[in-house]
Amino acid sequence: MAERIALDAPLDAAFGPVVRLIVGGIAERADFGFEAMDDLQLAIERLLAEAGSDGRVSMTFDLAPGRVRATIGPLREAGLAGALQDPDASSGRLTLRRILDIVVDSFGVENVTDGHIVVRLEKLVAARL
Amino acid sequence: MRQAKDDVKIRARAEDRELLRLYREEGDTVARERLVQRHLPLVRSLSRRYAGRGEPLEDIEQVGAIGLLKAIDRFEPEREVSLATYATPTVLGEIKRHFRDKGWAIRVPRALQELNAKMASTIDRLTSKHGHSPSAGEIAAALDTTPEEVLEALEVGSAYTTLSLSPTPGGDDGGSDPLDAIGEEDLGFERSEDRASLAPALGSLAPREREILRMRFEEGLPQTQIAEQVGLSQMHVSRLIRKSLAVMRDELQ
Repeated sequence: MAERIALDAPLDAAFGPVVRLIVGGIAERADFGFEAMDDLQLAIERLLAEAGSDGRVSMTFDLAPGRVRATIGPLREAGLAGALQDPDASSGRLTLRRILDIVVDSFGVENVTDGHIVVRLEKLVAARL
Repeated sequence: MRQAKDDVKIRARAEDRELLRLYREEGDTVARERLVQRHLPLVRSLSRRYAGRGEPLEDIEQVGAIGLLKAIDRFEPEREVSLATYATPTVLGEIKRHFRDKGWAIRVPRALQELNAKMASTIDRLTSKHGHSPSAGEIAAALDTTPEEVLEALEVGSAYTTLSLSPTPGGDDGGSDPLDAIGEEDLGFERSEDRASLAPALGSLAPREREILRMRFEEGLPQTQIAEQVGLSQMHVSRLIRKSLAVMRDELQ
């Protein structure tokens, strides 16, 4: 059964623990193990850390059999899209892209308008760690 | 009216630049002090965001002022931005680091503290028993509590408490640190000036944390394997990874 959870939060590190707690709850509903849950939390935490600290951010979590998909944005941090799309930023350097490569099953920039981007992250329940 | 405001800003920037020049070129420490005084209202304003979190506002402002001094010392006058714009993330970074190092001064219910204390060994025991990381539900069942309390206890332990990057003697991981022997060898990760890269800040981490990051993000090892190799609990490895990445991000700000 597919479920959707939407969250609108201040883009402020002080709310990081709140976001983590909610993401943890969603991961638990999707039967993620501790490590997969931690990976999803880390992915979102690092993405938001790179996205600045002003304004708000919307997050939508789609739970479907076998996966959790997070859609995060709009984010307005200049250079973030490039950092996520740069094919050279994957190996040998500790970049945001490298971190996401490791902790989620797929990610991408879904929409770019007026310098704003929406980032999609997907973590598969089947990859239970 | 707007023109007048713009004129004030332009004049303020020019004065900042002149003070910076005096400080840099002539070693005029009075000029530096004047720069500090001119930007203390910014520090106070940023500090107020962190008021009411268990730290006296005056202490937060003092920490923020250290960030301001760092920004003044690092600022390059050729930059297109004003000193205030440049200093803002440095001041905030210093305040955040202070809170992280000192720990969020909130009262954690004893029941959650006790639950958190049992968590690391329970996760490792269940991982070993089932061959995979347990879900929050499985941990809850083993500890006779609810998944929500497990999540809360995890968060209390990872986000709010003071967490040394060094192992805690007598803690759930014992006092040993198998990676102390690593020394200063090159632990991978090309150092890059790339904006998106955290690698330039790797030097701010202890060898053990750098090695854990290398195992996780270069070798791609899961936490469970890293935990086995370094002799820590999976939960501790998770926290060290998160904290190390946050420290590196702060370092670059």
